[in-house]
Amino acid sequence: MSPRRLFLLFAAGLATSAFALDLGGLSKALGSADKLKKGLETAKDAAKLVSGLGPEEERSLGDTVALEIIGRFGGLMRDEAAMRRINLIGGSLARYSARPDHPWRFGILDSSTVNAFSAPDGYVFITRGLYQMATDDDQLAAILGHEMAHITGRDALRIIETGEKGSVLMKQVAMRSGNAREAEAYLNQVGLNTEKIVKFLVDKGYSHPTEFTADHNGHALAAVTGYAPGGLRAVLIRLQQIPAGPQQVFSTHPPLTERIQRLAADAEAVPGTTAGRSAEKTGLSATEAVEKPSAPEADDDDRAFAEAAEKKPAKKKR
Amino acid sequence: MNPPLPARWWPTALLALMATLPLPAALSAGGTAYTKRLETSLLAEPAALAATVGKLPAGRPVKIAEVRGAWLRVSDGAAAGWVFGGNLSETQPAAGKGLGSMGLSASATTATAAARPLTPAADDYAARRNLTHARDDLNWLLAQCRAFTPAAVDTYLRAQKKGEYQ
Repeated sequence: MSPRRLFLLFAAGLATSAFALDLGGLSKALGSADKLKKGLETAKDAAKLVSGLGPEEERSLGDTVALEIIGRFGGLMRDEAAMRRINLIGGSLARYSARPDHPWRFGILDSSTVNAFSAPDGYVFITRGLYQMATDDDQLAAILGHEMAHITGRDALRIIETGEKGSVLMKQVAMRSGNAREAEAYLNQVGLNTEKIVKFLVDKGYSHPTEFTADHNGHALAAVTGYAPGGLRAVLIRLQQIPAGPQQVFSTHPPLTERIQRLAADAEAVPGTTAGRSAEKTGLSATEAVEKPSAPEADDDDRAFAEAAEKKPAKKKR
Repeated sequence: MNPPLPARWWPTALLALMATLPLPAALSAGGTAYTKRLETSLLAEPAALAATVGKLPAGRPVKIAEVRGAWLRVSDGAAAGWVFGGNLSETQPAAGKGLGSMGLSASATTATAAARPLTPAADDYAARRNLTHARDDLNWLLAQCRAFTPAAVDTYLRAQKKGEYQ
């Protein structure tokens, strides 16, 4: 079999495997099987299939991942005042983000766990546990900024891209070795299904370097928008001081200590920020200025909150 | 009570205040920045409510002539004016339709777009995966987003003294 025929067979396999696996509706957005196969007449078309995901596909993927996240975390908290607060804070951050004109959406998951998630197409979710933990707008902005940085950094989409690159690599392998069966098996293994993406986002989380980058970029976004840059650090310090319990606290994120240390370094490195102004006023270093005003000590209220968050049944406003 | 600041010191005080506002380190005089909004206004003064003297499309490289705190005086050919640093990018935004790129039409950028209905593919997915409650919640979220128009966000920024209103 010629390399070209083998490649086309492989590309057709990609199309059919895309339908066999559940792409969370992506296959529907991409068109019917006939159209796909017709479009796979050349290697160029095949390449388009795997690398040409555009806004429409991002919307489908974003909606689908959002559905899974909402389904897993007890639904949305239908509190209009809270919705207004996070959407106005989030909207303010969005104005100065890398995607200022994108339609962003912010929601609160009705779960006592302490976590936040983002999904493609501008979805940002924060759990009720974490929302209640943020004591002011600066801290809430920092949390939202971190998740927004995952979206503007295309972090979730890199999962797909990794699959694409793997597929392209495997095509090359198949073309050289003539082992089409091996290539098909690989495709099934790296299938671009939504369940895998959600599992990655919700259960496993991003790599530590990716999280640190999101901390850094979210910190910068909050600062340029005018929120105190120590917000995220204050939240993390507060989380660190809460006694370990059955609740999941940022289970998909790197160790708190390292994140806090890196954010302190960020605060030192950003001149002219609110931290810098506070430092000038108080004579503290920028790091200290960030830490001192908004890093409450763990007290009885914290512990009571942590316990209550677990015991109290989800209050859903309908 | 302290005596009021003499009027002749007001410009100096204003400049000193502006110098404390945050600005990404890489955006400095002599450098290049890029517009990232679909439409970026060039202002006559480094103030959010100053008169608009020009507009630039997204992804346009601009030369930075001067920096005053969080504001930059930029030029693009004959067009010149002040822009809040947060409205510019240090790197050129990705163009085209690809994921993560700006890739938006003007009609897709409003709160109406944020309030769009669930995509048919996701709707179908919810039915197949027994996620009907999640679908209802997500539809509620999308409907709620109608209220958060760019104008509403702008009003909020002004009231809270955030962004270019700092």
